[in-house]
Amino acid sequence: MNESVSIFTLVGRVSKTVLLLVYALFALFPLLWMIIMSLKPDSQMFTTTFIFSPTMENYSAVFLRSDYPHFFLNNLLVSISAVLLSLIVGVPAAYALARFHFRLKEDIAFTILSFRFAPEILVILPLFLIYQRTGLYDTYFGLIWVYQLITLPLLIWILRGYFEDISPDIEAAAQLDGYSWWQVFLKVLLPLVKPGLVAASLLCFIFAWNAFTFPLLLSDARAQTSTVVALRFLASDTVHYGQVAAAATISALPEVILALLIQKHLVRGLSFGAVKG
Amino acid sequence: MASVQLHGLTKWYGKRLGVENVTLDIADKEFITIFGPAGAGKTTTLSLIAGIVAPNRGSVRIGGRDVDGLEPADRNVAMVFESYALYPQMTVFDNMAFPLRSPKHRKSPQDVEDRVKRCAKVMKIDHLLQRPIQALSNGQRQRTALGRALVRQPDVFLMDEPLSHLDAKLRHSMRAELKEMRSQLGTTTVYVTHDYLEAMSLGDRIAVINQGRIQQVGTPKEVYFMPASLEVAQLFGDPEINVIDAKVASKSGGRPELQILGENVPVGVPSDVVPLLNGAETVKIGLRPSDVDVVEINNKGNFHGLVYSFEPLGTKSVLTIESVDGTRIRALLDGHRVFDVDRRIQFKIDPNAILFFDSERGAFLAKSKLIREEAGDG
Repeated sequence: MNESVSIFTLVGRVSKTVLLLVYALFALFPLLWMIIMSLKPDSQMFTTTFIFSPTMENYSAVFLRSDYPHFFLNNLLVSISAVLLSLIVGVPAAYALARFHFRLKEDIAFTILSFRFAPEILVILPLFLIYQRTGLYDTYFGLIWVYQLITLPLLIWILRGYFEDISPDIEAAAQLDGYSWWQVFLKVLLPLVKPGLVAASLLCFIFAWNAFTFPLLLSDARAQTSTVVALRFLASDTVHYGQVAAAATISALPEVILALLIQKHLVRGLSFGAVKG
Repeated sequence: MASVQLHGLTKWYGKRLGVENVTLDIADKEFITIFGPAGAGKTTTLSLIAGIVAPNRGSVRIGGRDVDGLEPADRNVAMVFESYALYPQMTVFDNMAFPLRSPKHRKSPQDVEDRVKRCAKVMKIDHLLQRPIQALSNGQRQRTALGRALVRQPDVFLMDEPLSHLDAKLRHSMRAELKEMRSQLGTTTVYVTHDYLEAMSLGDRIAVINQGRIQQVGTPKEVYFMPASLEVAQLFGDPEINVIDAKVASKSGGRPELQILGENVPVGVPSDVVPLLNGAETVKIGLRPSDVDVVEINNKGNFHGLVYSFEPLGTKSVLTIESVDGTRIRALLDGHRVFDVDRRIQFKIDPNAILFFDSERGAFLAKSKLIREEAGDG
């Protein structure tokens, strides 16, 4: 009896490991493929798979002989600013939607969420015209503003759940303990929603960083971001897959580094229930 | 240390009534319990004193100082919440130290540590100080919440059902501990509860509140023996007081008699009660289950009935009797007596123990003086 049980556990363990391994391959292979491509010279792009003579040529072409770093920094600047703006606007909004009762509350909350419903391509034409007229076209601020469509609803809806989980009694208790409302907010509420705050900010950053349609059509030489510029290595006359891959690899780095740094918060933050006393 | 005066407090939550016209005078160092069923407005009253919610009308004075419009932080009151409202991200120590680190009550780190440790010792949680809140049992959380309120010296303690989430045994021992502690503290305390035993055992006085209005304020003895209304009488006591419709039959020349339970058994209205009934022809009478006595010997003055149910509770037992007209009467008897269901029995009522109420409004009319004097000195 014991033996059969141990065989079952053994089979279970082995199959679990095998499945996880398959999944890991499935998930990581595109990344690996991208890195391999970025190290291949153009001449070996289609003739080799895993065995080739690696070169840093693509990286130096992208970084030293093009203006790609400029657009990379653009993307950083625009994405980080978009997340910061979302935090400044979204945290109080999420708190208000969670805590206060006012007319049309649910309608407002739903409207905010509905910004995420329409595909970007659907609203891009009117936005393009408005941006052209108002002078927001190809400005950092214009991009940061339009990115709020991507980041703000996400942030508000994640944080609203967190604020709703905090009992109003806790706020009242802190006020009775001798703190003003602002101090309560900073010392008691913010630490409690921190996992959600971190997770939501990271997600917002990733969505903002990966944004393509908006920067493609609402920006040009000045404010364009790396996601759009990476495609420029695919011109009609010359196709440099290696350089695209190098640009993409570099572009993926900030997300990977960020995700690794705050992995712990991300998992906790998205699984909720962190506030339950 | 301060007295508290509530004057005409009214609070509506939208269209729902919180409390209406609550007026209450709480003396310095008094321990008053606010007692009522769920949704009666008890917590609202506390929140109004604490300043967590603002009244629509009325005023609150603490220590003679008008505190209307003051933030909770500026009222110098401490509150224990029904949900405990501990800060889940902090340890027990940090929770208790939190008030002492606030801008209002800031103390030196050494002082904070001394006070928290002293207070934790009193609450018997000094071995738990470094634990996170999640790692505590309900009872330990409750002690931490109490400790957080006790650690500074507020003018008034507000306690919102602090024992209601504890299991029965712990609740009883904490009740005794609280009683012990209140004598040491000597701080004005407003204690909200829906448990009449807690209300009676802890309070110097009890304010009975129902449907947002204060029904009666008095010592535990007063509200138990001289309830202001049928409603109040029904809130106190377990098993609940028996309410029986009665006709007052006046005999020419003699004392009026009560006709109850469909039997022709004379129950004389006590002589001192007669003038207080104002000649009413029907009244409702309240009879505590402990004032119903099951007797074995035949007597003209006995009522008859069948045993409807019998619950032995150890030292006591509860007997429900179905009387001749179908009214069910609860009797609280000694534990050693045993009754079979459907057995025929006879029972006796003590006229001096009867509470007389107005048959329509349920207002208290009278009770025989014999017991009233006893209640008066409480």
